[in-house]
Amino acid sequence: MKPRTRALEVVLAASAVLLTLNLVVWVAGESPRRVLALAITGSVGSAYGIAQTLAKATPLVWTGAAVAFALRARLFNIGAEGQCMVGVLAAGVVGAWLPAGAPWALAVPVALAAAALAGGALGGLAGWLRARFGTHEVISTLMLNGLVAVATTWLYSGPLRVGAQVHTRPIAAGAQLPQAGALIAAFRGSALNASLPLALAAAFAAHWYLSNARGGVAIRALGSAPRAAEALGVNTRGATIRAMAVSGALAGLAGSHYVLGVKGYAEQGLGAGVGFTGIAVALLGVGTPWGIALAALLFGAMAQGGLAVNALVPSDALTVAQAAVILAVAALGASSLATREAA
Amino acid sequence: MNGVMVFAAQVLSASLPLCLAAVGGVLSERSGVATISLEAYLLGGAFGAAVAALATGSAVLASLAAMAAGAALGAVFAFSTVRLRAHAIVAGVAVNLLAAAGTRVALKVLYDSASNSPPLPLARSAMSASVGWSALREMLASPPLWIAPLLVVGAHVALSKSVFGLRVTACGEHPAAARSLGVPVDRVRAQALVLGGAVAALGGAQLTLHQGEFVAYMSGGRGFLALAAVILGRWQPVRAVAWAAAIGSLSALESTLAGDDTMVPAAVQAVLSPAAFRAVVQAMPYGLTLLAVMGRFGRSRPPAALG
Repeated sequence: MKPRTRALEVVLAASAVLLTLNLVVWVAGESPRRVLALAITGSVGSAYGIAQTLAKATPLVWTGAAVAFALRARLFNIGAEGQCMVGVLAAGVVGAWLPAGAPWALAVPVALAAAALAGGALGGLAGWLRARFGTHEVISTLMLNGLVAVATTWLYSGPLRVGAQVHTRPIAAGAQLPQAGALIAAFRGSALNASLPLALAAAFAAHWYLSNARGGVAIRALGSAPRAAEALGVNTRGATIRAMAVSGALAGLAGSHYVLGVKGYAEQGLGAGVGFTGIAVALLGVGTPWGIALAALLFGAMAQGGLAVNALVPSDALTVAQAAVILAVAALGASSLATREAA
Repeated sequence: MNGVMVFAAQVLSASLPLCLAAVGGVLSERSGVATISLEAYLLGGAFGAAVAALATGSAVLASLAAMAAGAALGAVFAFSTVRLRAHAIVAGVAVNLLAAAGTRVALKVLYDSASNSPPLPLARSAMSASVGWSALREMLASPPLWIAPLLVVGAHVALSKSVFGLRVTACGEHPAAARSLGVPVDRVRAQALVLGGAVAALGGAQLTLHQGEFVAYMSGGRGFLALAAVILGRWQPVRAVAWAAAIGSLSALESTLAGDDTMVPAAVQAVLSPAAFRAVVQAMPYGLTLLAVMGRFGRSRPPAALG
């Protein structure tokens, strides 16, 4: 099929979904224009809205960078969901374990390391299964997602439960990330915190590593020509495990936004869905840090816009639109993935 | 005896959605398209069944509506992956999201509720029947239960004997060779995906009929458990259904144990708390699947074009 026909079909398909969405809004007795206007003002129309959009984008930068990193090795990490969940758990448990008076210069790095190690171990396990047994990472990470969901449900409702609370003990004060609202008055009350600059820095660092570091080049070689890489003496098993471990660590660090930045404790359901949306962010961002940041911003704005219109139509209407965007991106991304391999 | 019949009913009601979703998964994946959208089919089918049951009061029409909803979602998935060449996993994620959010939007629009549909106007639902024989009888009266054996045998015969089944397998194992022999690969795949969606969605009808209403996100990860059964069953309908039934029995066991901690054996209680033991039972399907794809018990080889 000609690329142009294909692009046309993609646009038509996406329009069809959006049209249906409009129809639903209209049937629900609301004006689509008013709903859209409200979604836009709610997400980018005020300082608070912008801060909230940025906060919603933060975990998506982490998971988007995570999925993009593994993709460079042509590994499909759909376990960012579970890796984020263990990151939340580790940040919460280690953050609460730290002594109350721990200085932030110690507490923050330790809590971040815990989230990264937990996610990295889970991702690395999938990488090891791939390297050692040839287990496809899509299957192993899906099953690990299931295992993590069962385990965390049990931990939060049982051993980690504090009395009637359904969340873990609060983390040490020193482990809390700085709030944007404390610096900029207009952002007061929003969930925006220092996890966003950390995520952006990590996305750029990961990109730099892939472009320049020896280990990163090995990962890219594995992605573009695995056999040639092996013939040239690249340790492809090591590169597979490393790619998945780093990917998992980035996804685990998404937990820092929720636990160290927003809530101050870990609980069931934090980060649900961001692993899957991260796949769309990675594809839409075509693997570059700026692309990932912009894509995360788009999905963050859609999530925040959905909340803004919730009184008129269910916020899920915007999630349906997200699904349409993912389908369109996946269809268009089919060619861009191929180009990147050839390059 | 009462307890046995209640448990039998629970095993059936927990297994049936998984079995049907697994058959749908086998049909889809054998064509060479990785199908993680089983979750969407179950949820969409559950919602379609609720709409039809509320409109007509018929469990049979509810089951058919579920299949239509599943076929529609399968068509969206097929259009994206086969026609637009979207990555199957990404498209699967999107279709799952579409079903989860779409059913919630429709729930709000049709029934003005964020969480559940009105109760279905059917004869007492199985949920309300907690005494042995009536629980089992309610279960046996469920249309998806009568259709399921036909579908399992049908899928087995179709895949191994019919021209269509052989074409599906050819598309899954070696699409280039199939194409060179004149098999319209795209069309066969689309047919397999739509059919798979319809079959899997019948499992969703069972969820709704059993629950007596539609509840948002009621598929609750069963689609991924069904995928585990597909893998454990090595992409063969009968084996996949057997594994789905085993996984369903485990979850029936888990929910029975959840009701009564004293049923956890004392030997187990010495090591694990009842809650921890239930978590282990719940985790088993995922753990077994990981072991299977690691090649621990026999080789579980996916269709070659699935990758």
